Amino acid sequence: METIIKKRLCIALVLTACVMSSLAQDAGDILKKMDEVMFSPEDMTGRMKVVMTDKNEKQEIREATILQKGTEMRLFRFTSPPSQAGIAVLSLPDDVMYLYLPAYARERRIATSAKNQNFAGTDFSYDDMESKSYYSKYTPILLNTDNDFHVIELTPKAVSDYSRIVVKINIKEFYPESMEFYDRANNKIKTAKYTFQKIGNYWNASDVLMTNLRTGRKTNMQMSDIRYDTGLTDEDFTIRKLKQ
Amino acid sequence: MIMKRKYLLIIILVTVSDIINGQDIEENRLKISGELIADERFLIGDKQDWAWNENRFTLKFDRRITGKSKFNSEIWVRNSGLPDIIGSSDLFNKGIVDPFSMEIREANVQIYEFLTRNLDIKIGRQRIAWGTADKINPTDNLNPFDLEDILDFGRHRGSDAITASYYLNSDFFLQGVYIPYFQPANMPVGLFANALAPVTDLPEGLTLKSISDTLLMPRFNIRESSSAGVRIKGYTKGIDVSLSYVWGYDGLPVSTRNTFIPVDLTGGIDINSRLSFIRTHILGADFATSISGAGFWGEAALYVPDKKVIMTNDLSALYPLSPAPVIVDATIVDKPYVKFILGGDYNFRDGSYVNIQYLHGFFHERGKENLNDYFFIRYEKKFLNEKLMIAPVGGAFIVSNWKKVKDNSTIVYVPQISYKATDDIEISLSLAVFSGKGDNMFSSFNDYDMFMFLMKYNF
Repeated sequence: METIIKKRLCIALVLTACVMSSLAQDAGDILKKMDEVMFSPEDMTGRMKVVMTDKNEKQEIREATILQKGTEMRLFRFTSPPSQAGIAVLSLPDDVMYLYLPAYARERRIATSAKNQNFAGTDFSYDDMESKSYYSKYTPILLNTDNDFHVIELTPKAVSDYSRIVVKINIKEFYPESMEFYDRANNKIKTAKYTFQKIGNYWNASDVLMTNLRTGRKTNMQMSDIRYDTGLTDEDFTIRKLKQ
Repeated sequence: MIMKRKYLLIIILVTVSDIINGQDIEENRLKISGELIADERFLIGDKQDWAWNENRFTLKFDRRITGKSKFNSEIWVRNSGLPDIIGSSDLFNKGIVDPFSMEIREANVQIYEFLTRNLDIKIGRQRIAWGTADKINPTDNLNPFDLEDILDFGRHRGSDAITASYYLNSDFFLQGVYIPYFQPANMPVGLFANALAPVTDLPEGLTLKSISDTLLMPRFNIRESSSAGVRIKGYTKGIDVSLSYVWGYDGLPVSTRNTFIPVDLTGGIDINSRLSFIRTHILGADFATSISGAGFWGEAALYVPDKKVIMTNDLSALYPLSPAPVIVDATIVDKPYVKFILGGDYNFRDGSYVNIQYLHGFFHERGKENLNDYFFIRYEKKFLNEKLMIAPVGGAFIVSNWKKVKDNSTIVYVPQISYKATDDIEISLSLAVFSGKGDNMFSSFNDYDMFMFLMKYNF
């Protein structure tokens, strides 16, 4: 009798392990597909408008042009408000970042700890703005699948502002529909709602609404004039271009 | 004045041609932006004198001429200073009653991929900012210092220059600069007008009645008044590095001959000084990198005077019976010397930021023995969605003699609080408190503790 129980227990454990492994694999595959949807273009140019609305409905607007190549080269240049117009941020591989301040007429290498702060005073962290694949940064677990969405929980592989992120992924097109961000004490601190549009062969997050649940402030990031695969080269992401 | 007119004409021509052409392409339109600054300071002491008054209206005109060329300019229109009225006749002079000035800080044209794909050039009045440190750059020696506001000590004026940058690859470029004529630094004004005046040690029994001077400017020809510089800058193994050489002038004059003239029988004397500018070779190197999230930078500059600089003191008039002239020489600079700065900064997750720098040799100090040590620190934190910034710790600790630190050091404390009333309006309040002794510029500011108000509006 004891032997039978042991055998059944073993079988149950093996089956559980298989199911878990299969779920993890599924989650990994789903996340990889989401990465493919989000990061497959060779390069991208466009304009970005960020509207921040506080709980009193007071709005602030930031506008920038954006150039991106692959997942590690990016050039932001603010065009509005006037106090920030002309300020540019160049991000390169290996966490190399430069800031160009027109008032000082020089580029400045900036500490990577700048990523600890919010991006341009918005509710997006530098981490949120990064184009690195989610699969490389997070360990996924599939929480649920229904007719419309996969729900995946992401746990950061390295030190992060977040303890976990719960992502709802469109079951058909594999782009994220929403994300919930939890702090290290496991409190839900931010939510993001995505609107994707197909431009040519690629899906583009044309509108992202980030709500900061602590402050009640909302940051709406809208992309326009998006063009993919225009043939940007590494030379478009140099200090020479940063200063132009 | 002729230069000012020339640049104004260029700016007006660009503006007018733009209006006439009616450029519809947004990228190529003339962009006008600017800033209004109201900068008011008063002393905290008993008298509460005004220490500074400046209303600065900055206008920037930028235009992308073509995809590969650009026009850029910056003009300051200012009411600055306080009315310096001595007699009733001054009341008829609006320039005295309401001091006004206008200056062209920059006006230049940039051409990218000039003649060859790898060459960019920039012609006209421009700021050539070299160095990696924060505001204080020992390797930044091409533009003259703008010392008008001594508390804004990193400020330089633009130079009329031609700059060529040749990009060797995506990581390295070679830059050459030619400045056809020498422009000296402009000196501090107002309360700090004497901040850089040398301390004159007189022989016992003599009293200084007055000083007059004659300034010898380099001759305005290509050989004597030109400056030039070259640097190579790039990125390798995670570090930004550059090496530079400047053939220029020390922008602050030095006294090379003093003639002592007795004016009474009680030991009163006048001094007539002859001031010159020193031709100097400056070899520079700098780096910047990021390690474990923290930023680090450093700069060093080796100053090599073209020739030994000696100050000759002619005391002959004090000793009329002496059979030979009484001349006492003092060496100002006879050997090369190095100024350097090291610094770092870090952004914390709670929105706070710290920046620390150590400097050996301030901009006006010369000669190995005369270089003081400066420690700068600033800690700030942002609140209310980054609208409110409080910097409770800010300032410097200066040591001019490590053997007697107590009597040869100064503390400068500059806390600050600023608030962004809107995206484009920022109001800032700060204090500057000076406390120190010894032979350093800031110790002479002991009586000038002040409250500072600054409003900045960008448009």
